[in-house]
Amino acid sequence: MVDKGKISAMQLAFLLYLAITSTAVLIAPAITGGIAEQDMWLAPIWGSIAGFLTVFIAYRLNTIYPKQTIIQYSEKIIGRIPGKLIGLLFLFYYLHLNALSLREYGDFVVGNFLPETPMFVVLGTMVFVCAAAVRGGIEVMARTATIFIPLIFFLFLFIAIMLIPDLEPKHMLPIMENGIGPSLTGGFLASSWFMQFFLLSFFLPTLGKKQKGLKWGMLSVIATMLTFFLANLISLFIFGDITSTFNFPVMSAVRYISMADFLQHVEAIVMAIWVTGTFVKIAVFHYVLVIGTAQWFKLSDYRQLVFPLGFLLIIMAIWSAPNLQKVAHVLGTTWPFYDVLVHVLIPTLLLVAVWLRGKANGKNARKK
Amino acid sequence: MKWLMVLGIVVVAILMTLYEWPKINKEQKREKKAFVVLTAGSVILAVVLVYFPAMPGPTQLVDAIFKPLGKLLEQ
Repeated sequence: MVDKGKISAMQLAFLLYLAITSTAVLIAPAITGGIAEQDMWLAPIWGSIAGFLTVFIAYRLNTIYPKQTIIQYSEKIIGRIPGKLIGLLFLFYYLHLNALSLREYGDFVVGNFLPETPMFVVLGTMVFVCAAAVRGGIEVMARTATIFIPLIFFLFLFIAIMLIPDLEPKHMLPIMENGIGPSLTGGFLASSWFMQFFLLSFFLPTLGKKQKGLKWGMLSVIATMLTFFLANLISLFIFGDITSTFNFPVMSAVRYISMADFLQHVEAIVMAIWVTGTFVKIAVFHYVLVIGTAQWFKLSDYRQLVFPLGFLLIIMAIWSAPNLQKVAHVLGTTWPFYDVLVHVLIPTLLLVAVWLRGKANGKNARKK
Repeated sequence: MKWLMVLGIVVVAILMTLYEWPKINKEQKREKKAFVVLTAGSVILAVVLVYFPAMPGPTQLVDAIFKPLGKLLEQ
């Protein structure tokens, strides 16, 4: 391993939960709501099936190659050059995905809170903090996530409770007006977040006790599903069919909170949740990218790659998206297929290749 | 204005190199190579983007590749 740090399975679950829900809660209601409409609350439930599947695939591959990540074992399974190509695809995918998340963060902060600040300053400061965390190693990141989890959980709960007076459950009706189809399509869009649980492939080798990895991975998927479900339900109960017209429905919903003209501007809390969550998200994906690149080049250390790749990340964030509407459009149409290719199709094929080779070896052994 | 941005990019790259270079061991040839390739590549990409900001990016590439499938979800 390039990073010698060890974390517990629970810390891993916290890291993944924060990394995945932070962007899901903010923009996923708009994306799933565009297609599933009043059935959007079902979308995370369908989507989580993909989460359980990817956790299972990542875990199975890890039991075969316990000390390696996909960048390393893909070379072992299908040969050096195809393995390197798959590794490159994964690295490019993580760089691109992280750039898009970073860009979402930048657009959110500039659009809602700091309209006069140039984009590259907002992006640059965030990447610098994340790069410092990644340089600290996996243990530092895991402890950061453990500190943030209760904070984020209670703030999210607080917002949900404050919104109760504004909820209108009748927006949910009629349930499944056009059959099960729209909610399934929405679920497919939602699954693009759940498939990110394949990140486990990069973190399972750092676990002290392997057996708990599967259990905590699954628990993390369940927690993500519940949070995602709650975010979609709240957006739906407040805005109904117009949810998809907002860039950040939860944010717009929170602006409604007003308790006796005394408690207002609670959106600062959303800002706090979003910034800490995005910090963990970008740090986790950056860590994966840096570790993956070090393994791809077969280096003995990863630290010297943190800042150059961080610099590349900022450039990619500015380059990869002209504006947020474009990002939301891509995330809502073509991106889920890219996710399926990288996070489900390729790992499944690798697993099948291992299985077939195991069978062939078994036959040869018997012949001898 | 553009040369100022290019200057900023070069300054960032120099600061990174000044910070990281002494920390890499002399024997670690591969590490040095990887660092130089990544830093130089990023600087070149950044400078090109300063002059051609509308250059089609990776998102357009993904969009183009998966367009036929993406149409299924478009309304």
